[in-house]
Amino acid sequence: MSIFSKNSPPDNGDDKIANQQLDDYAESASVSTEEQAATYEPVVRNEMASRPGIAKPSIISEGFTFEGTITSDGVLNIAGTVRGKITAKSVLIDASGQVDGELNSEQLVIKGQLKGEVNCEDLNIGPLAHVDGSISYKYIHIQRGSKVSGKFVKN
Amino acid sequence: MAEANQLGCLFVGEGVVLKGNFQVPDIASISGVVEGELTAKQILIEATGVVHGKISGESIDIRGEANESVSSTRSLIIRSTGKVTGSIHYSEIEIEKGGHLHGDLHNINPHS
Repeated sequence: MSIFSKNSPPDNGDDKIANQQLDDYAESASVSTEEQAATYEPVVRNEMASRPGIAKPSIISEGFTFEGTITSDGVLNIAGTVRGKITAKSVLIDASGQVDGELNSEQLVIKGQLKGEVNCEDLNIGPLAHVDGSISYKYIHIQRGSKVSGKFVKN
Repeated sequence: MAEANQLGCLFVGEGVVLKGNFQVPDIASISGVVEGELTAKQILIEATGVVHGKISGESIDIRGEANESVSSTRSLIIRSTGKVTGSIHYSEIEIEKGGHLHGDLHNINPHS
């Protein structure tokens, strides 16, 4: 017991020195990372500033059913159900989305279900999609796993 | 893979024109032209390959041209250089971007 108590104080002293050195290392390391962060931050901010107002998409949310005609010059995200005619620059049919009718767009991404007549330039059909209809396209990409049937015509 | 064991395989080299109906037990690799029906377990139509006629098999991989009906019981892949005209029956399909598809598409087992 006494041996331990005698030896322990100098040991602790060594430990303190070692700890101090470690602290010094840690401090210098943290300073350098802070400096790096400081130099990177403005770059990130500039990037944010150089991407002004990306066109906000129009969204048909899940559980929402729309019947009629939709016309848009921008982006349309469909997570709900649409029956009717859709014309937009870019259309995304989400996994929960359903479209029944006529669809015209430049870019079309289908992750959900689609039935009807489609006219588009760039078509991408996701792995869980169900598509049935007559489709005219310029560029097509069908991912493995999707269920697709109907008439396909390349423009 | 195919070169290791060519038992039951058909290879049609570039520039070769083959006419008739073919039953291939294993792999059919087409770099030339086939005029007629082609049935194989696995069909590979290479970028220079052209088939005029019905093709059917388990897995079919198209980098070239298929000009009549295509029927695949397992997987069908149309690569970016691939071109398919005519009706297609498939159970699993993949079309790479740039692939060319002109015709009717049917799923063999639509409710699975």
